[in-house]
Amino acid sequence: MKKIVKDKLPSLWEQLSSQATLFLPVEQDGVVNFAPWEEGDSVNLEALNTVVPPKNVVFPQTETYMRFKVENDKLHIEPFEQNGPYVLFGARPCDVAGITLLDKVFLQEPEDGLYSRRRREGTVISVACNEPDAACFCTSFELEPGMAPGADIMVWDMGDYLLWKAQSEKGEKLTGSVENLLQEAAEEEQKAAMELKERVTAKEAAAAQEMGWDPSGVKETLKDMFDSDIWEQFFRRCLGCGICTYICPTCHCFDIQDYSKDQEGGRFRCWDSCMFADFTLMGSGENPRPTRKERVRQRFMHKLCYYPSNFGLYACVGCGRCVRKCPVNLDIAQVIKEVGGVKSGSE
Amino acid sequence: MKQLAEIMKDIAAQSLSRGEVDLVIGWQKGPLWWQSYPAFIEGNEGNGETGSLTWDSFCVPNLSRYLLEELPERKKVALFVKGCDALGFNQILQDKRAEREKVVLYGIPCTGLVDPDKVESAGLGRGLLEVKRDGDELVFVYDSGEQKAQARDFLYDKCLTCRYPNPVVYDQMLGEAAPVQPEERFESVQELEKMDADERFAYWARQFSRCIRCFACRNACPACSCRECIFDIPEPRWLGKANELSETQFYQIIRAYHVAGRCVDCGECTRVCPVNIPLQELNRKFIKDINELYGEYDAGVDPEQEAPLVTYKTDDPAAFTES
Ligand code: SF4
Ligand code: SF4
Ligand code: SF4
Ligand code: SF4
Repeated sequence: MKKIVKDKLPSLWEQLSSQATLFLPVEQDGVVNFAPWEEGDSVNLEALNTVVPPKNVVFPQTETYMRFKVENDKLHIEPFEQNGPYVLFGARPCDVAGITLLDKVFLQEPEDGLYSRRRREGTVISVACNEPDAACFCTSFELEPGMAPGADIMVWDMGDYLLWKAQSEKGEKLTGSVENLLQEAAEEEQKAAMELKERVTAKEAAAAQEMGWDPSGVKETLKDMFDSDIWEQFFRRCLGCGICTYICPTCHCFDIQDYSKDQEGGRFRCWDSCMFADFTLMGSGENPRPTRKERVRQRFMHKLCYYPSNFGLYACVGCGRCVRKCPVNLDIAQVIKEVGGVKSGSE
Repeated sequence: MKQLAEIMKDIAAQSLSRGEVDLVIGWQKGPLWWQSYPAFIEGNEGNGETGSLTWDSFCVPNLSRYLLEELPERKKVALFVKGCDALGFNQILQDKRAEREKVVLYGIPCTGLVDPDKVESAGLGRGLLEVKRDGDELVFVYDSGEQKAQARDFLYDKCLTCRYPNPVVYDQMLGEAAPVQPEERFESVQELEKMDADERFAYWARQFSRCIRCFACRNACPACSCRECIFDIPEPRWLGKANELSETQFYQIIRAYHVAGRCVDCGECTRVCPVNIPLQELNRKFIKDINELYGEYDAGVDPEQEAPLVTYKTDDPAAFTES
């Protein structure tokens, strides 16, 4: 394993951004989000979770992929790509797990070309969490705050330095390219990091246990709960906004739209949200999810029942974003708890 | 505050069991310290759930707004209103989106609510179990013991500038009037006014560049009560779905203009925004302009009062054409 002393981080940012677009957690007006790094940005590696997860990097909120133009009465269509190599530095282990869940959707056959290209072009560096907060419950999904198996490089914040471990070929390659800034980590330093990781995991698991957030059986329970009254108690307070879905690292519904002006335009895809009134609104005016009740049910069923049926894993990584940000506290942790409390089949 | 919660439980149980109302909207406590969320209790006796009603320093979500959805389905609805919720209720009345006789209002004199972000930035969030209000102080409860602090340091900015902490409309008031001691609310507007047009444009462009277009600011607003919002109409799609700055500016300008003269300054839009966009500054610029052009006007105080932007007068102080 390697390490990098924190004093050298500015040089690291410079070096990395000279070879690729470098996404870092950048603070602006008190809000930390991933953004392409520019000289003078205030990088915040301490903030636990960015408001918007780095899914925005692999699956942008808005992505134009085609341009068209009418010239001499003829329509010209051409693909449009804005990609290039990038480095995503500072994703938390839950964020990386979120990307792994998106992979299962977008990289299954037939592969999503836009997504797979972005995934191929990027190197993901994850920073371990030393201090999960009250809203975090990643351990409930068998994730570790101190380890992101899906990251190309894993780093641990050890105070004055970051311990650095390449975990993939891409990770090795990037490590090689910044070798000048890294040092070999001593045996004790590696041991200290692994101990810290174990400590944090144990503490976090105990905290989640205490909150009663145990999703393990929920995917089965929910299969019989489509018509349950339990949705009644949740949906009324929902504002039907897009916060929970847009800030969730696993939500991946999208829409395809065009824009045009005069004789030219483009086609883009953009995030959609099951919480919006026009979600699944058909051309005929029919909507299978006409009210907030069906929409709220969809949000939780998708994450806790349908996705697990399709891919074997829950589509929640316990990042706690919806717990922190839903203006009316309709978060998945509470739903898991309430749903778990209702026995299979009873309504 | 405990006491008030007990009164709320009793009153809700009574009005449900007597069949006076078929729904009570109040607040319930969630598992985490900052979570107090809207609760909907129905059926006679309230199915024994009235006991879960609560009142604490986090009962911030505005309940009046829910009348838009709930009232058409119900005979009569009771809800608890803080000062700002009551202003919102009056605005909904004035916009003819609720019928006064179908609503029972229990007024709550409000001494200000706690902003969880301020607790976190003061480093007090770690391991916090509960926050209790004790007069002018807050008591932070941890496993290891308690810590006290001045409540004012942790209140929402909107509460610090609140001019109507005591509900202006109610059927029954639950408690003694709260002191009214608002801080100046137009300070940040004055700062904005000092900027030249380019600086101001840059300021708002930076703010709006963070917008994720979640529409929470609209959906939480008691003045955003249109049956169908222009931004939700799929055909024609007035607002493109691309998260582009120009589209966002279009959305934000329309939103601000559409609530101008009807914004009750409750600050919910700003509270719910996940990326800290200071929407209240924009709303307050409108309020300040209206005050200066047409005389002092507080939306939501009196639903019978003439609203300046929708009232025609031959001696209107504003010219109809640029001279
Ligand atoms: S659950 Fe919360 S964040 Fe999600 S749409 Fe409803 S109010 Fe918005
Ligand atoms: S559902 Fe909530 S906690 Fe789970 S991954 Fe999404 S935002 Fe995070
Ligand atoms: S615009 Fe904002 S401050 Fe004004 S009434 Fe609506 S939510 Fe309240
Ligand atoms: S709440 Fe904030 S992020 Fe959401 S649409 Fe409004 S301004 Fe944008």
